[in-house]
Amino acid sequence: MDKKKINLSLTLIAILVGFMIAIQFQTMKKPVERDTRDVWQLREALLQEKELQSNLLSEIRSNEEKLSAYESKRKQSKEQALKDTLQELKMEAGLTEISGPGITIQIEPVMEDVQLGAPLTNVVSPELLKRLLNELNMYEAKYVAIDGQRTINTTVIRDINGETKIDGHTLKSLPIEIKVGVDDMKSAEKLSNQMKVSKAGDEFFTESLRLTVSGPNPTIIIPAYDHSIRIKYMEPIKEGGGS
Amino acid sequence: MWLPVMGLVIGIILGLLTEIRIPEEYSNYLSIAVLAAFDTLFGGIRAYLQNIYDEKVFVSGFFFNIMLAASLAFLGVHLGVDLYLAAVFAFGVRLFQNIAVIRRILLTKWTTNKEKIEKS
Repeated sequence: MDKKKINLSLTLIAILVGFMIAIQFQTMKKPVERDTRDVWQLREALLQEKELQSNLLSEIRSNEEKLSAYESKRKQSKEQALKDTLQELKMEAGLTEISGPGITIQIEPVMEDVQLGAPLTNVVSPELLKRLLNELNMYEAKYVAIDGQRTINTTVIRDINGETKIDGHTLKSLPIEIKVGVDDMKSAEKLSNQMKVSKAGDEFFTESLRLTVSGPNPTIIIPAYDHSIRIKYMEPIKEGGGS
Repeated sequence: MWLPVMGLVIGIILGLLTEIRIPEEYSNYLSIAVLAAFDTLFGGIRAYLQNIYDEKVFVSGFFFNIMLAASLAFLGVHLGVDLYLAAVFAFGVRLFQNIAVIRRILLTKWTTNKEKIEKS
């Protein structure tokens, strides 16, 4: 038998066994430390620990206070953001009164054109109004009120029994004032100039109506839309919805 | 013959120096593994003295015994039966037997050596 080889394997296994024994020994060996403090020392230690505890408690309290402060701030800011958004949306939908730069347009009958015996034109046809409105929108008018009636996206202008109605509001007597609001003075001026040279004037004139476009006005007040907006066919988009 | 003893000492020193501690709940397994290792070691020494030492048997027995003991302890823990006691018993008995055999062999060797010296 190869003695050297035997010794080698035996030695290796012996090392392994020794290692295991040492680990087991260490694991089993528990720290032996006797508590030799007397009552006063114990009391002192207790006092220290209590102080530490009270410190920790006060720290916790301050942190909680901070947390609640942050929380309330966050809530408020959320609310504020929501309110802002709501306000913005309302403004866009035409539910708020707007005061800002803009122009006013007067529609009045042409007195020179009045013929004896012929009835006086005192109705603006809805087609004319629609064309005017389209033209205004084309020239970047933001807010429009016709005879104190705010027009929004769903506004209908139609002829009912010979009367021109805007969302149920009857345009009765001439002259009629149309208020147009824009974003700033510059665009108000531009709009005024564009309306002055537009064909709308001619179109109105063929119906014996005169369009007087004012210059840019820094503050005109456009009333809010005062009916409720009925939404029949709109639905909110489902979150993550495909189609 | 001194080399294995040296190895044992080296292993113990190494183990103490590394300061490895295993968790309390696993110390059962290690203790039984140590017992199995001891048993195999003494079995190997006995076989060596009786000149029937086989390295393969020795090495495979070492690892197999350790694993068997550990798995027995594991099974015991999970069955709620202290099965590791069986291993402790078996290894303990074998340990005593092996040590007894080693003692006798050494005694006879010693006495024959003494007789030889007296004769000469």
